[in-house]
Amino acid sequence: MVDITIRKRPDTEAVITQRKFFKKTARGKVIKVLRERYLRDDVGCGIQGCHACAELGNLPPAGETGHSAFPMGHFLLPDTNVFLSQMDLMESNLFSPPIILLQTVLDEVRHRSLPLYNRLKALTKADDKRIWVFYNEYRSETAIVREEGETPNDRNDRGIRKATTWYQSHIPLAHGRSASSSAMPKVVLLTDDAANRRKAEAEGLAVSSVRRYVEGTKDSNQLLDLLAVVGEDSIEPTRAVAARSALYADYLPTAAVLAGVKSNQLHQGHFNANPYNYLEGSVSVPAFTKPVLLVGRENMNRAVHGDIVAIEVFDESEWKAPADEVVDQETTLKNDDAEDSDEEGEGEEVLEQEKKVIQSEENKRPPSEKQPTGRVVGIIKRNWRAYVCHIDMSSLSNTHSTSLSQQTVFATPVSRLLPRIRLRTRQAPQLVGQKILVTIDRWDNTSRYPEGHFVRALGKAESKEAEQESLLLEFDVPYRPFGKAILDCLPVEGDKWVVPPKSASSSEWRDREDLRQLTICSIDPPGCQDIDDALHAKRLPNGNIEAGVHIADVSHFVLPDNPMDTEAAARGTTVYLVDKRIDMLPSLLGTNLCSLRPYVERLAFSVIWELTPDAEIVNVRFTKSVIASKAAFTYEEAQLRKDDPHMQDEITESLRLLNSLAIKLKAGRMAAGALNLASPEVKIHLDSAESSDPVDVEQKELRETNSLVEEFMLLANISVAKKIQETFPQTAVLRRHLPPPRTNFEKLQDILKKRKGMTLDVSSSGALAASLDKCIDTNEPAFNTLVRIMATRCMLSAEYFCSGSVARDTFGHYGLASPIYTHFTSPIRRYADVLAHRQLAASIAYAPLHPSLHSKSHVERVLDVVNRRHRMAQMASRASVEFYVGLALKARGEREQGLVQEEAFVIRTFRNGLGVFISKLGIEGLVMFKREVKFDPDNYTVTLPFELTGNNDVTIAVFDKVTVNVEIEKDKNTQRGRVKLTLAKPIDSRNM
Amino acid sequence: MASISLSKSEKSYIQTSLLSTPPLRGDGRSLLDYRTIALETGIAPLANGSARLNIGKPTHEGGGGTEVLGAVKLEVEDVENGDGVDGGRIVCSVSCSPAAYPHLSSNALDDLSYDMTTLLNQTLSHPSLHPPNLCILPKKKSWCLNLDVIVLSDSGNVYDALFMAARAALWDTKVPITRAVEYQAKRGGKNPQENTDVDMDTETEQQSGFDTRHISRAVDFELPDYWDEGETLAGQDLWPVCVTLNIMPPTYYLDATPQEEASTPLRLLLAMSFPKSASSRLQATRLLGPGEIELSQIKRLIQEGEKHGRELYSALEAKLREEDVRRNQKARDKFVLR
Repeated sequence: MVDITIRKRPDTEAVITQRKFFKKTARGKVIKVLRERYLRDDVGCGIQGCHACAELGNLPPAGETGHSAFPMGHFLLPDTNVFLSQMDLMESNLFSPPIILLQTVLDEVRHRSLPLYNRLKALTKADDKRIWVFYNEYRSETAIVREEGETPNDRNDRGIRKATTWYQSHIPLAHGRSASSSAMPKVVLLTDDAANRRKAEAEGLAVSSVRRYVEGTKDSNQLLDLLAVVGEDSIEPTRAVAARSALYADYLPTAAVLAGVKSNQLHQGHFNANPYNYLEGSVSVPAFTKPVLLVGRENMNRAVHGDIVAIEVFDESEWKAPADEVVDQETTLKNDDAEDSDEEGEGEEVLEQEKKVIQSEENKRPPSEKQPTGRVVGIIKRNWRAYVCHIDMSSLSNTHSTSLSQQTVFATPVSRLLPRIRLRTRQAPQLVGQKILVTIDRWDNTSRYPEGHFVRALGKAESKEAEQESLLLEFDVPYRPFGKAILDCLPVEGDKWVVPPKSASSSEWRDREDLRQLTICSIDPPGCQDIDDALHAKRLPNGNIEAGVHIADVSHFVLPDNPMDTEAAARGTTVYLVDKRIDMLPSLLGTNLCSLRPYVERLAFSVIWELTPDAEIVNVRFTKSVIASKAAFTYEEAQLRKDDPHMQDEITESLRLLNSLAIKLKAGRMAAGALNLASPEVKIHLDSAESSDPVDVEQKELRETNSLVEEFMLLANISVAKKIQETFPQTAVLRRHLPPPRTNFEKLQDILKKRKGMTLDVSSSGALAASLDKCIDTNEPAFNTLVRIMATRCMLSAEYFCSGSVARDTFGHYGLASPIYTHFTSPIRRYADVLAHRQLAASIAYAPLHPSLHSKSHVERVLDVVNRRHRMAQMASRASVEFYVGLALKARGEREQGLVQEEAFVIRTFRNGLGVFISKLGIEGLVMFKREVKFDPDNYTVTLPFELTGNNDVTIAVFDKVTVNVEIEKDKNTQRGRVKLTLAKPIDSRNM
Repeated sequence: MASISLSKSEKSYIQTSLLSTPPLRGDGRSLLDYRTIALETGIAPLANGSARLNIGKPTHEGGGGTEVLGAVKLEVEDVENGDGVDGGRIVCSVSCSPAAYPHLSSNALDDLSYDMTTLLNQTLSHPSLHPPNLCILPKKKSWCLNLDVIVLSDSGNVYDALFMAARAALWDTKVPITRAVEYQAKRGGKNPQENTDVDMDTETEQQSGFDTRHISRAVDFELPDYWDEGETLAGQDLWPVCVTLNIMPPTYYLDATPQEEASTPLRLLLAMSFPKSASSRLQATRLLGPGEIELSQIKRLIQEGEKHGRELYSALEAKLREEDVRRNQKARDKFVLR
């Protein structure tokens, strides 16, 4: 007879066994939640070879012996705040004592900050860390019950101390002998809470503050820099905090901010810093059509670009117009000293100066352009991350310029949108001239600058590796190599994988059409390795034309919900830098198995149309297929082949056929009102593969074949979009481009009218396209492109969306003038395409749809990430091009022994400068005037008075063509190379 | 109430023995004796307050007593959209288990539940008993206190049991602590010292005649400490107890069994509360049954009833406090000493 014991606990133990708490739901209801807690005696301590615990641990039995204060070895038991404020320290490779992570701590970290919790979780899994998660709330000896009148914090602290006590008494048991406790390793409670330390010491526990602990480690010099700045008391105990006056207003408590936002008294939005003027920022909120302006340090109130802030809008009488002057942080704040800047004396001067700048500007602002103005009253979410910075050399104190003593220095972020960051470091002299990564820790209301700490050095400024990595970090591009779990998802055959011979039993051939005999070819830019599309066309007996687009069948290899899929979803897109490609999928897939290389069999997803010779669609079908491409052309080769009258072979014929269709398709699209937009695109010529020194910059050339491929990709995308929207009306992955609000164009329309007497009709995309075509200056062929570039900037960006999440009438793609659109044709480099592939495969009943793609919220979540990554990737590649343009200019300057001169167009006028666009280099820059000039904001002109020019007044207006001197000037403080422009024609402005 | 059917001779037998000297009762009690009352609080962990009460024989002794279960659930109500009442409200409902009244049809059972609901609701939701801490945000949010009582079995004196269970559940009720969340526009409300730094918008410093700051701008609330059960519902000592006087002229007796109830022509229900600081209050009276009584007699009965009520009240109070200690202090000590 089996002995049955009833383990059900009686109600009378409710206090111990039940954890009750209240939860407030989003709808404002209060729910009581009850959790049962089962206490056990077999929760493992994690020490290897422990005699008392059955579970296998990862902590070395002797602990860490390298610390000076604990020669007998020790284990570290940090409390919650250590993880909340010193995560960089914990993540450092140099910091590797065995750590006991309590469940109480883990739970509290999760409750306080989800991102930190995720970092902590990753840390517990890292190979080079020895962290053991101890479930102290479930071990009967260490579980505690909240006392009457005890705050949750006190309860948790008590739990942590109790667990420390238990560990201390458990270690002798673990070693299986009753050795004297002095010879045993210690468990060190790591906490920065002085009260908790006192209590722990009273209980006879080993305890240390983070700083004291780190000072005793082997690599204390490097590690001390990683310490986040917490609480003045530990770092600068002598400084009189009270003596400092608050520079900023205090933030409202979070709850009050939320209440204010809810009652519409406050507004919530992303803080955007003004790149031209560091004393100004703006926040776009739904309540106003124009963004809300924040003028001056006090009103921006410590917001950093990207933060989600709550703002209060002033009365209309106090509204201001945005500044039209360039205010540079570096020139205004030149004399600011990092060590002293938070003390009164000198700081006043700087403030005084800033105030002058703001006021002088204010008087000049045209009253006509007033927009809502307000101030930041609270931060809803900080979006601080690690920023790439340079050390400001002038902030280094002269006396210690070579010493290793700790000093406070300024780090100037590479991005103009960010304020300088103050940090303390011992390594300042080594860091000068390097790109370094700095994290902001906090920004007190007594401090003009945020305070941060040094994370790591990226390398010498202007070295390619450092620049490349800093770019990737700056735009948050995940660039780690693919992990093992991801590579395990690849086919086991590796690069030996081939399409198996056709047979009924082969899973690859199931429901696949054999299109190997078709004359398929691919057309791509030169050097393209990830060929994801190929085309074919042939005449049908009935006079119609069969055209096919074949897309790499990525979804055959990337199965839903495995590590590779998750990683691809997180990366969102492949990022192309000038000299590097950061792949979304492992390169085995991207450049080999999925790449539709010529002469090999590849799996494809085909869209095949029957078109009339006038490019009307008669019929379309979608099928999974096996193809063998017959040729891989570059755009140029394809163009030559098509134009060569001697070539009469099948491939050339099909190219001509495709081309004739593409021309008609394009005409049809243009008639429907598609926009022909322009963005500055340049191509960097790299000298050779080894040195990769750029030699020259040239603008990209567009051929007929570019348009050929583009037309068919558009057609495929539209056909697929219709199909998946029909099949999955709730969750189809689509792409749209919302029509821009008309107000976006107001300024451009005004400039065009005043300067050129031209009008821009923005009532529809068709009207806009037509009026853009009319914007022609016969003397200046590039003028039309310039207007197109400026018009493009007025538009919104296209985005992926889930069809169930928005209204049906907003599906349209404004730029393409298509009622529905998706991305299907580049699954190797865009994740949205992979989703579209899966949905299309399900809609032709090839494979069942993964449940996650039936969930609207899941699709929305994935697409949000993809949208963001897409934006970031674009910005990263643009920044990469800019960097190389800079290098090229430098090289050219050296080669030509003097000034580089380029033609440029004026695109914006400021009170003290001009914004110019150099189309040949694809870059934008500022021409600044140091002397007083006349500025007419209503007519967009700047007049250089005759005192300066020597003879007549020279007036320069928007759209004027000027010639500029391009110089690369190295900021001697920050080592930051920057383009300096001066006018050469119509007037030499180098002395102005 | 015909909860049980008795023959005329049976009734007459019971009546005669109750009126004889000394009075005789079926279970040997004297006229003013109660049966054993068992009480346990905190029986429903998900409720904000709960109690189980048994008069007679508790279930673990074989059952057969009058068993009543009361539980309090607090709900957030929005006052602005008309769901709730400013300052909170109390809604009571009584449902009778069919097992308690197997001989009643479902309609009759509903009627009975309705009668009891009316009595309990009218008494407990009376303004004189309204606890002040049911308000979350004045004029915006309030708690709705739902008191649900279930009669699991009835062996007489169900009204006393009903009120005692209700009192115990209310006594046990903890109201989650809320903190008002508000946004006060502080236009120009900066410290004077800050104004030396800022030359902008200094004109708003003086007080406006239309200062509306005393009107609370709170729009929402938060739970500052979600682990905490909360504070006790105010007016713990106010919740009334009920004493049923079974009137058998010229005398009366307490805590009737079903048979006694069936043979008694008239019952007087007195719900009384005994505030600590003031004199006792009569919160409700009901006369049940076909019998008659003169007004002059009622006055005497009420005075008698107050005496019995106070006894019942203090006994209940002692038990409630003991329960509280058992569930918290003792359980914790036991845990520490384990």
